[in-house]
Amino acid sequence: MSTLAPTDEPRAVGDTRRAGRWVFITATVMLMAWVLVPIYLLFVNTLSSPSEVSGFPKTGLPSFDFASVEFFLSFSGVARALWNSVVVAVLTMVLSIGIGAPAGYALSRFDFPGKEVFRMVVVMTRAFPLPLLALPLAVMFIRVGLDDTALGLAFVHTVLALPFAVLITFSLFSGIPIELEEAAWTLGCNRLQAFIKVVMPLILPGLVASAVFAFTISWNEVFAAAVLTIENRTLTAFLVQSLNVSPLHLKFAGGTALVVPALIFIFAVRKYLFAMWGIANR
Amino acid sequence: MTSRTRLLASAALAAPLMIGLAGTASAQLLFWSNQAAPIEETQAMREQVLSGFDGEVDFQPQETGPFITRIEAELEAGSGSIAVVGALHGELANYADDWVDLSGIDLSGITVAPAFLELGMLGTDEQKYLPWMQANYVMAANVQALEYLPEGYDINALSYDELVNWMRILAEETGSPKFGFPAGPQGLKHRFFQGFLLPSYAGSTVTNFRSEEAVAGWEMFRELWQYTNPASTNYGFLQEPLLAGDVWVGFDHVARLAEAFNQQPENFVAFPAPAGPMGRGFMPVLAGLAIPAHAPDIDASMALVQYMMQPETQVATLLATNFFPVTDAELPGDLPPSAQALGAAITAMTSGDDALPALLPVGLGDLGGQFNQVYIDAFERIILANQDIGQVLEEQANTLRSLMEQANAPCWLPDEPSEGPCPVD
Repeated sequence: MSTLAPTDEPRAVGDTRRAGRWVFITATVMLMAWVLVPIYLLFVNTLSSPSEVSGFPKTGLPSFDFASVEFFLSFSGVARALWNSVVVAVLTMVLSIGIGAPAGYALSRFDFPGKEVFRMVVVMTRAFPLPLLALPLAVMFIRVGLDDTALGLAFVHTVLALPFAVLITFSLFSGIPIELEEAAWTLGCNRLQAFIKVVMPLILPGLVASAVFAFTISWNEVFAAAVLTIENRTLTAFLVQSLNVSPLHLKFAGGTALVVPALIFIFAVRKYLFAMWGIANR
Repeated sequence: MTSRTRLLASAALAAPLMIGLAGTASAQLLFWSNQAAPIEETQAMREQVLSGFDGEVDFQPQETGPFITRIEAELEAGSGSIAVVGALHGELANYADDWVDLSGIDLSGITVAPAFLELGMLGTDEQKYLPWMQANYVMAANVQALEYLPEGYDINALSYDELVNWMRILAEETGSPKFGFPAGPQGLKHRFFQGFLLPSYAGSTVTNFRSEEAVAGWEMFRELWQYTNPASTNYGFLQEPLLAGDVWVGFDHVARLAEAFNQQPENFVAFPAPAGPMGRGFMPVLAGLAIPAHAPDIDASMALVQYMMQPETQVATLLATNFFPVTDAELPGDLPPSAQALGAAITAMTSGDDALPALLPVGLGDLGGQFNQVYIDAFERIILANQDIGQVLEEQANTLRSLMEQANAPCWLPDEPSEGPCPVD
């Protein structure tokens, strides 16, 4: 940097704006590729024959060989496990919002002794690894009869999802001015009515987001599901363990089987997610 | 929210709750296994092996973590749903007190290998488990690699030095290392050190862990590593790099090589593991069937175990899992290529004059994982981190010694029998 470049003249504002656009477009493309390329490869390999999956070089195009997919469809128990996964995930969603939202509301609206400790303790549930908790949990579940039920597993998953539900709803409620509620009270609403008619519609997108979060946490959890369920096995517990030690082409097919339902679910609730980020998509 | 959406929403929320509460009751026998976990083997076990049983069986393969946790949970709770446990000898040995005595099962007309039956007693006078199936580890090579085999070398009687030399030639002539070793996180590398390398060089797995002979073995392996595909630290199942052509010669468990032989039988050969100065060390793998004391219906479980021992079931199990029978079941002539090639290699390895069987660890209880870690750490430090062999072995030997004392485990083959815990010199 000893000499100034002779052409170092001020640039037009348009130039900078154009450069900014380039940065923006590149970043967008990269972000999209980051998400889409692995999913694309997953699908391509699912629809390729075993020798193409392990072979090299790759064409990058699917050959629409359905052998791996057919194997999965015929693998007994996949449909049942998929259903169980959905049941457990929905239960987890309901329970974690049902328990988490009131806790978040209390944290944001009321002052009570031990509030800070409570916030800390809620997060603590994530501090213990599941393999450590699974054994005593399983013993207890067998004794009380919750063993091998979707509800029992959903309880465990709810504990995992609860910190996020509480903290997300806490910040959601904190973002709604209490004056809105007070106004509703002065106009004749009781606390519950004010909550349902005024606060609820405002935080709905956020609630959906934290519900989606609970859903994915439950969907992806393997260890507790593998120990605590036997006949009512979830798809992840059912497949992930076997896939781990299966040939490559079946890993891809199984990966697709795990990803597709989650994609469909997120696609179904996308308008609530987008609404939270301020993009009207209704 | 309109009243209609509200109704829909509450219905959607209530339905799973109802289902979640409804437990299912069925008379299926739960076959809890950590073998035959690969999804195709699971499928074959269900459709070809267990479908012939008179009664419904729910075959559930598991990874070892949840597998053990579930067994322990049921033992502790004092009741459970597992009818039959299928696992490796070492894992079954941990719960000797919790298995039902199986000596009452009628095995007339079936001859089970007596050595295996003896192992199944787990040092007690009851038949704690019945041998289920066996496997081994062998070498596999792409036929292309045979063109580079030096003259005078017999592929069925290789020594480790000859293997190193062959791999050196292969690497130099083809321009890249072609040996493969399952050193990935899912790989069974520790079994190679416990059952093949150390027995072949030091004639021992535990006692002579840090002897000069053991050092010589590690030096050989360090040399071999130069001609090993560096991606080996990612390999779990060697059949995949073999099929992809990344590896031309490699060592692995037969069940993890089978796919290569079944997909391209004409491209691969199987042969015994090499021999060292002390002999041809090898480690047979024995899986067994046990019945937990809290099984829901012990008689039904016994019937299932008896069914698993029948000659036809044993052959069907071989076809499903690539694990070989433990009985004298007659093998059909039209076995799949994997069973033919791998079976021949196992026979050549185990029946040779220099055969030196090394058993899976016995009596370590839940310290088995730490025992494996001693060998894995030695491998990572010596081979991957290039540390001084003598020093690494000395430090690992201390860990090994305290493990043996903690478990109070006497020596097992190929080590000399010991009074009290197996010594580490």
